[in-house]
Amino acid sequence: MKNSFVELNARERVNALLDTENGRELVGPFDQMIAPNLVAQGIVPESDDGIVVSLGTIGHKKVVVIAMEGSFQGGGIGEVSGAKIIAALSHALEENQNGHEIFPIIVLDTGGVRLQEANYGLLSISEIGNLIVALKKYVPVIGVVPGRVGSFGGMSITSALMSYLITTKKARVGLNGPEVIEQEAGVREFDSSDKDLIWNTIGARQRVQAQIIDELVTDSVESIKSAVLAAMLERKDSHRSENADFYLSLLDSLDLSKPMTIESYNQALIEHQAQSVDLPVITEQATPATTSVGYDWFQALTGLKNPNSTVSTVYYGDSKRFNEDVVVTAIVPDPKNPMYRVRDGEVGLVEGFRMAQILNHIYEADQNKAVKRPIVVVIDVPSQAYGYNEELIGIHVALANSAAAYAKLRQAGHPIIGVIVGNAISGAFLAHGLQSSRLIALNSPAISVQAMSKESASRITKRSIAEIEAAAEQVPSIAYDIRNYNKLGALYRFLEKITDQSTSITNVNAVISAVNDAIEDVRRTNDTMLTARYTNEIAVKMGRVETNKVQAKMNEEWNA
Amino acid sequence: MEQLAYQYQTSQPISKRVHVGVVGSGDLEILMFPTDKSESTVKVRTGSDGFDKVWGNVLTRFFDRYPISADIVINDFGATPGVVYLRLTQAMEELADEK
Repeated sequence: MKNSFVELNARERVNALLDTENGRELVGPFDQMIAPNLVAQGIVPESDDGIVVSLGTIGHKKVVVIAMEGSFQGGGIGEVSGAKIIAALSHALEENQNGHEIFPIIVLDTGGVRLQEANYGLLSISEIGNLIVALKKYVPVIGVVPGRVGSFGGMSITSALMSYLITTKKARVGLNGPEVIEQEAGVREFDSSDKDLIWNTIGARQRVQAQIIDELVTDSVESIKSAVLAAMLERKDSHRSENADFYLSLLDSLDLSKPMTIESYNQALIEHQAQSVDLPVITEQATPATTSVGYDWFQALTGLKNPNSTVSTVYYGDSKRFNEDVVVTAIVPDPKNPMYRVRDGEVGLVEGFRMAQILNHIYEADQNKAVKRPIVVVIDVPSQAYGYNEELIGIHVALANSAAAYAKLRQAGHPIIGVIVGNAISGAFLAHGLQSSRLIALNSPAISVQAMSKESASRITKRSIAEIEAAAEQVPSIAYDIRNYNKLGALYRFLEKITDQSTSITNVNAVISAVNDAIEDVRRTNDTMLTARYTNEIAVKMGRVETNKVQAKMNEEWNA
Repeated sequence: MEQLAYQYQTSQPISKRVHVGVVGSGDLEILMFPTDKSESTVKVRTGSDGFDKVWGNVLTRFFDRYPISADIVINDFGATPGVVYLRLTQAMEELADEK
């Protein structure tokens, strides 16, 4: 096709968007910032680690264009590639804060987290999302999904955080790739060999109907560039990640106990009028509402006895057990949930939108108060929901709503303190936990922190589970245990002596004391962002060495 | 992955650095950096092990025709010798392009 945008590689796409020949690439291939984690696993790296960042203009307006190279490792985000995006967006934020308007344009062609670097991808994606939420106060953040890989995984959550999303009909946008849903939920839930099913569900044409993308354009350089420019000039913003009431009332009206047809969903969506939905009510009962590590910790940290929520999977409550009044949040399992893909405590549609609703309520309640209440996030989330209905409706949008709300509260001055008491996996962790100002973790061997189950990671990366386990010996970010996670510098406090998950008095007191320290640390440093993740001692020494190298290089080149 | 290194005595310095290609399936990227020496060094990382002789042949043929002096980095994701040679020639076109 003449002038096809889709057929271009990442660098060509960036140059095609920019006004003629005025782009300046930052931390480009000649800087040789390659991913050591790939080399350590015997995987050939790329000199730009699959990310192109250029400063320039579009329609004479200053922009930073960031593009993922979909042909290199599926456009996945690892440490170096993630750090390039983070560093570029940090500079763009600073410029905008200083009154120098610059528009971030992000060309997505990505499978999400690069599984060969796993936890680095998750950390990076949460930090990217945080910067997008901050940037939207100044300028729209425009996303383009041209197509070939499309946009998947954590980066689709990122796409839903963006102000405005432009795609061609060759794009697909979803959270869980078809192969992963099939692996996790079975072929009856989603048949990954059925190409029509895939395109009809998550292809761009349907995604416009589903209001998951904003604009479908023909695949030419001209039409994409003019759509991007119009979005910039008209400051288009669909507020997709602040849409909890709309979706909660929509979900209430649907029967999701069985797969919906695409037609009936589209019809319901067109007819739907947003209504306000009552907040969950949590009351004390005679018997426990469910059994899970997260539920036990929610009880212990709030002091509530056998709490029962009107929304069976989503809990929040005030607590007087800390130095300050805090609000504790948790997502728990409901074995009888009619949403059958969420019965084991996964974060699904309801969970994402509900958490956003609760957090927005707290935001509004504290809006005019000098001191914003801390939020203590009980993290025990085995995964996001893998399901057909979830993809059709857009589970990544639900997770983005929750992530955006946590980020918004933190940026407004609420310390967000995450406590990893159970599993912290993938999209679930991005939605509920990874936007925390500080993370605290127990040292239990039962805790996993990861991007994907070993079975699915094996299928996607075409490596045996034994090979993945051997690689994890070299690369801590792809290990599943909390001790290796601590090596990344992501934890503010690793409670090494707590080797079980029980809510014994000793354990609870240790957690409360660590949370108090974390709140105080956030207050003392006036920290509203996530930079502490890669500027702390462990991160600088070993956990985020490459992140810091990329930051330094970007600092050097941004103003050069 | 295999890492290979080659060296060629050459005579024509290059004036600027160039970058072509992508580390995608069946493709490769090539970077050329100017050097003061009268030789070229080539560092190859390839995902297809056991082809060091083939690499040697392709590179020898290239330097016979273009005796440029450069430090060259190649990251290869299973490109055929034909594609390798095509990308090398493309890099030469970039060098010739005065823009």
